[in-house]
Amino acid sequence: MASIMRPGLLRSACQNPAASQRMLSSFARSGIKRSSPLIHQLRPQFVHPTIPKSTRIAAFHVTQRQQIIPPLPQKIHGTLNDPVPVPNPEPVHGAYHWTFERLVSVGLIPLTIVPFASGSLNPVMDATLCALLVIHSHIGFESCIIDYIPKKRLPISRMVAMWALRIGTVALGVALYSFETNDVGITEAAKRLWQA
Amino acid sequence: MATTRALARLATRRTAVRPAVFTRSFASVDPISKAAEATVPDPARKAIPKSRTSTVKDPEPAKAAKIKTFHIYRWNPDEPTSKPRMQTYTLDLNKTGPMMLDALIRIKNETDPTLTFRRSCREGICGSCAMNIDGVNTLACLCRIPTDTAKESRIYPLPHMFIVKDLVPDMTLFYKQYRSIKPYLQRATPPPDGREYRQSIAERKKLDGLYECILCACCSTSCPSYWWNQEEYLGPAVLLQSYRWIADSRDEKKAERQDALNNSMSVYRCHTILNCSRTCPKGLNPALAIAEIKKSMSFM
Repeated sequence: MASIMRPGLLRSACQNPAASQRMLSSFARSGIKRSSPLIHQLRPQFVHPTIPKSTRIAAFHVTQRQQIIPPLPQKIHGTLNDPVPVPNPEPVHGAYHWTFERLVSVGLIPLTIVPFASGSLNPVMDATLCALLVIHSHIGFESCIIDYIPKKRLPISRMVAMWALRIGTVALGVALYSFETNDVGITEAAKRLWQA
Repeated sequence: MATTRALARLATRRTAVRPAVFTRSFASVDPISKAAEATVPDPARKAIPKSRTSTVKDPEPAKAAKIKTFHIYRWNPDEPTSKPRMQTYTLDLNKTGPMMLDALIRIKNETDPTLTFRRSCREGICGSCAMNIDGVNTLACLCRIPTDTAKESRIYPLPHMFIVKDLVPDMTLFYKQYRSIKPYLQRATPPPDGREYRQSIAERKKLDGLYECILCACCSTSCPSYWWNQEEYLGPAVLLQSYRWIADSRDEKKAERQDALNNSMSVYRCHTILNCSRTCPKGLNPALAIAEIKKSMSFM
């Protein structure tokens, strides 16, 4: 089952006959034989007798062959004594963005505590909480995308992810707006869930 | 005054009569070496019989050997098709120095001369021997060998670096990044008194905890953000150095330095994971320096 879910496991198991024999022997005796002449003919290096023990174990290590973005060969731009290029200052994506994000995060703390502490329901405060939550989650996910989908390696995936995030954020905003206007609002909903 | 005194001392020393035994001289006229020659037994002389000699006892018999196992990452660029492997070495800790670097040097000297690693000062000043020991980036010369012989030690090169050989990482990008922050005093105006750029004690104190960095890259290579975005994110070590020049009261290019960092990648990929501060073998706090950079840029 695991090998169906993860083709990498199957591949690594087939590449190492000793390992595959051990794995298949639990449920199928007629698995790939180590001394099968076909395997010898096809890829004799697979039955190399001097495989160190560590690699035999490593063949079962699922994460080893499933690198999502395997590193490219090293490439050095310019000579060894050139500095890396310094990007142009973009405070909108730099300092202002960071300050804004911190302000939103700090502002969320009283907004989540006050409605429950005071016990009063204020639609303006509820709306502010919703808006800040949407912005906060958008910035958080955007940060994940920037971290894990490098623009230079995966430009299309990056674009797709960013647009998916934007669509999701807008959908969340619309959903929260309708929830606030047509239903009870998130503070009241949280209160009811807490008491239920 | 002082020079005349020194000259006078020199003159008296020259003229002072010293016993010939303590002066250095050429071997051909050295009386000491002649005396030593005389004491060396003549090979033609007869050996002293066993009955007239005493037995030299073995000093103290060696205690039970403390055999410790080291697994060391090996990769040879001369065999590019072969995969990196872990090689196991065993050492008797009683005959090895206390630090990991001593163990590595002993392996290289006595067991396997092909083992490759960088080392220089063996006292935590040069930052050459940075490597990943038992899962922690540290300097091999500052890392004690755990005396528990049941536990096996694992030594890897710095993580997420291109490897030159065995434990030697390629630091080219790291140094290029360091160069990009212009790690030198930038100042156009001459000092007011025409002599030195003076600092108050408080201003100098800001540089404590920054200037001690030896650029061993332990912190940068322990940072997940640096692992993922090495090409654009500068990493804790370089940012600490950048802050060292931003915080310097004598430097006049503070705004330019901050502008160079003011984009989404150079600094703001730091998510305060704090691996850098935890791993620093010199006990510095790069995360605090990065936080100070962010703070100084946000309230400009």
